[in-house]
Amino acid sequence: MADMQKIQLDILGQVCPACLLVVLREMNIHRQQLKNGETQLIIKTDHRDTTRTIPESARKMGYDVEVRNLETYYEITIGKK
Amino acid sequence: MKSLSAKNNNPAGLPGKKTSSVRTLTEENQRLRDENVRYARYIREKTNQLLEVMGTQPLRPEEFDDSELLSLDPIGIIAGSFAQVYEYLNQTISDLSEARDELQAIFDATGVGISIIDQDFAIIKCNEKQRELLVDKQMDNVCGSYCYEVYCLKNGPGLDCPAVDTFATGRPVVVNEVRKKDKYFQLVTTPYARDEQGAVTRVIEVALDITARKKAEEEERRQRGFYLAEKSKLASVLQSLSEGLLVTDSRNRIISINGAALQILDLSQKQAQKLKINELFTDCPPEARTIFDVDTPEAFQNFEILFRSDNRELLLSVNAVPLFDGDGDTIGRVFTFRDITEEKHRQEVFHRTEKLAAVGQLSAGIAHELNTPLGSILGYARLLLKGDNLLPEQQERLSIIAEQAKKSGVIIRELLNFSRLSVQPPDRTITCDLNQVAVEAIKVLQTELDKRFITAKLDLFVLPAVTADPKRLEQVFVNIVLNSAQAIGSNGEINIASQCSEHEAQITVRDSGPGIPPEDLSRIFDPFFTTKPVGQGTGLGLSICAGIINDYGGAIDVRNAPGGGTIFTIILPLTGEAHGQ
Repeated sequence: MADMQKIQLDILGQVCPACLLVVLREMNIHRQQLKNGETQLIIKTDHRDTTRTIPESARKMGYDVEVRNLETYYEITIGKK
Repeated sequence: MKSLSAKNNNPAGLPGKKTSSVRTLTEENQRLRDENVRYARYIREKTNQLLEVMGTQPLRPEEFDDSELLSLDPIGIIAGSFAQVYEYLNQTISDLSEARDELQAIFDATGVGISIIDQDFAIIKCNEKQRELLVDKQMDNVCGSYCYEVYCLKNGPGLDCPAVDTFATGRPVVVNEVRKKDKYFQLVTTPYARDEQGAVTRVIEVALDITARKKAEEEERRQRGFYLAEKSKLASVLQSLSEGLLVTDSRNRIISINGAALQILDLSQKQAQKLKINELFTDCPPEARTIFDVDTPEAFQNFEILFRSDNRELLLSVNAVPLFDGDGDTIGRVFTFRDITEEKHRQEVFHRTEKLAAVGQLSAGIAHELNTPLGSILGYARLLLKGDNLLPEQQERLSIIAEQAKKSGVIIRELLNFSRLSVQPPDRTITCDLNQVAVEAIKVLQTELDKRFITAKLDLFVLPAVTADPKRLEQVFVNIVLNSAQAIGSNGEINIASQCSEHEAQITVRDSGPGIPPEDLSRIFDPFFTTKPVGQGTGLGLSICAGIINDYGGAIDVRNAPGGGTIFTIILPLTGEAHGQ
């Protein structure tokens, strides 16, 4: 989708549960756009536990989640199923 | 929290009432501070509880101080997330409910019966089709009932129950045919749920009603059996027919032939199957061969055809009809035929005998009427000849009259002889040896044969006696051998051979003469038929022979030998076998 809005969320250096709360807050704020598939949330994190807690929570809310292990951090993409 | 805001801030150093008021405010301030701390702690505890539900760690104090915690509003955030989870769950529940309804509709609408059965063979669930197929209409609810009681009317699972195998092996089982309540089913059981140890706790049983197919198969089997029985019956009938039967295909090839046909045509089944029917009747005239052709639309009845094979020659009476398929197209021809050689021969003999009898009676009458005047003519001619006053011309004319009258007398005698044979019954008390008769006949004719340089060869097989007067039989042999000698003219050979079967003696006289023209063969035994010049034969010799042989219940026949010459065949029944004709 060419005109999809991508919201970058850099939480490098932060740990759980702060990371989770920050991400959940963003997901609540952009809830409608995420549900409609207009927006994707792209999170940069270097806290490994986050790659478990964020996808688990996002999937329970009905989102599609992809986790990529990049060189120095993880990239978690959250969007419409 | 680094600072808490107080509702009343009392500045220090105020006297009296003011001091009291400051103290009160300070106390109030402290109380509010304490409450603030309790609320912050409460919020932190509840946030941690919620985070635990979210599957993550509790907040660490260094992570957010109370002020930051309050400004972040974690409970609000988690509540918002829970709202999304709740919404998603509701959506999922709605989707699942829809899916369940769809599944139930499919479950009920499918053309096969489906049951879910537990380890105790209790029915957990069954669809409408299964109810329709195997559940009594009076039963409202089958869930919890035993499947073997409801579906099979048994007290326990049967040996042919595939669910037993699936529970035991954990694998799907297919049974192609099971009978339940007068219906036939193909059953498939497949594991549906397992316990923690992997043992199957529930199976799905799918029942496909194959009753209609089974009945169709049974009907087909019955019809096939009927067809095979009819085919076998028909084959037996065809094989037992005394008439030959042949069926050809659209290319005139023989596709079916019965035993009688093989026997008549002297063929083996194997030989026949390779042949085209035209190849069997190669000697037929072209117009006769059309009856065999599949392209000939007409049917034929009693069509007489000459069949030649090796040294045999048979006259067959053939019926031919076209063979049609269900659409009325010609797919071959059916032929029935019988060997009428003997029948034809007997007919000829019968006609000849009839003719002989008629001519005999006529001859007797004529001979009797002519004999007396002829005797008078001869007597008076001789009397006149004795006169001495006759002129030479008169004497010559009288001599001619006497000679012609004498010749006529011979003819009259032969006629009388012939008529006697035709009307007098033969003497059945005398027996003779046919070989001896032949030998005696040759002796009588030896001078004549020598004169013509004709050699007589005898090849005689010892024969039992036949019932016949040897003198009359000798007359037959003399007549036939003399005929042969006259046919040869001079320089030739006459072979006389005899043989014997269980009931008959047969003797053949074969000459090396020119043979008899085919058109004369059927008339050779007719009275007064002769090929000799006028005045040289009466045409009664062979008729008399035929008459004598017929009198003794035998048969006489003539045919041209393949290598030239003529063969006369005389057949006489052995003594004890004779029957009058």
